[in-house]
Amino acid sequence: MTIKNTQARWGWLSKVFHWATALLIFIQIPLGFYAESLRLSPLKIDVFIWHKSLGMLVLLLVIVRLLWRIKITIPIALATSRLEKLLASAAHGVLYLLMLALPLSGWITSAAANFPVKLFWLIPLPPIVGPDDGLKSIAAEVHEICVFVLIAILVVHIGAALRHHFMLGDSALKRMWF
Amino acid sequence: MVKTLIQVLLISLLASHASAEHVAGHLVQQPTEKWKANGAKSHLYFAPSFEELPINGAFKRFTVGVIADQKQPQSLNVQVQIASADLGSSDLNEAIQMVDWFDSETFAEASFASEDIAMGQAENQFIATGLLQLKGMKKTIEVPFSWQASNHNNISMVGELALGRHDFAIGTGEWASGDQIGLAVRVWFELVLEIADD
Repeated sequence: MTIKNTQARWGWLSKVFHWATALLIFIQIPLGFYAESLRLSPLKIDVFIWHKSLGMLVLLLVIVRLLWRIKITIPIALATSRLEKLLASAAHGVLYLLMLALPLSGWITSAAANFPVKLFWLIPLPPIVGPDDGLKSIAAEVHEICVFVLIAILVVHIGAALRHHFMLGDSALKRMWF
Repeated sequence: MVKTLIQVLLISLLASHASAEHVAGHLVQQPTEKWKANGAKSHLYFAPSFEELPINGAFKRFTVGVIADQKQPQSLNVQVQIASADLGSSDLNEAIQMVDWFDSETFAEASFASEDIAMGQAENQFIATGLLQLKGMKKTIEVPFSWQASNHNNISMVGELALGRHDFAIGTGEWASGDQIGLAVRVWFELVLEIADD
């Protein structure tokens, strides 16, 4: 298995990026809702530290992933029509956008609320903005809207992968697996 | 003639006495003067820590009264409106007013009254010792500060100390542990004192 992608297959680095972000997102979504549901307590704060730490990990991963993606070949889309191809690349574009917008809006929310963050209880995260109640409300709203859009797109993304695998019988899912 | 001479002598005597008093007034300040902090130019800051990272905040409403001459402060009195605590965001400001924290609904005001002010190590350095009342608790604390007459009309008073939040039952119950929110709270002030009108 090569590190680089080919026209037909994903290389192992792209696969690691994909599944690592997938895993983090599947932890992050319930973790965020859980943290938000808790009353103010040391537990809530700890759950939020996990959420913020993993969120910044997603941001770091997606930046490296995008740099890698720009640099290398992308396997040819396995779409059955031009419309499908268009929808697929639009969905992928929005997914990348959300993977940036979610951690960034979260970071802004936390910093605007003047809440210091130490990622994984180790690394101080510099505040991206100064304390600002108005900005905090907007960023929190954006964060929430983004997560619902993300859930909707993920349903489509996973649905499409399963459709390719089980109904169309092509290698769309297999070529992303190891 | 004699009458005129006596008059001149008396007048000059009175005049010289008056001018001597005037000079004395400049050389030695009145033994005690009342000073108070100019609210717009004075700041009382506090910084709790979270995971060892400080959150800088300030009390927006407080009064400071000092009885002093320009060389030697003699008493220090401070009143702080606890509800005016500002940590920069409404989220934090609401949280710190809760019962486990400041509980300002029950304990609206904190106060410090000095019992003694001693000279510090360096020039213009003093240490006020007195009782801090905060959230219904009392503790004798030391407040070190510098005292600098910047001109005839005001005095700059700057100091810093650390308070233990457990001494004042701040952060009780599930917050008692200092692991997340540190037990020591940094408090510092930059005051500009002016002669009180009253």
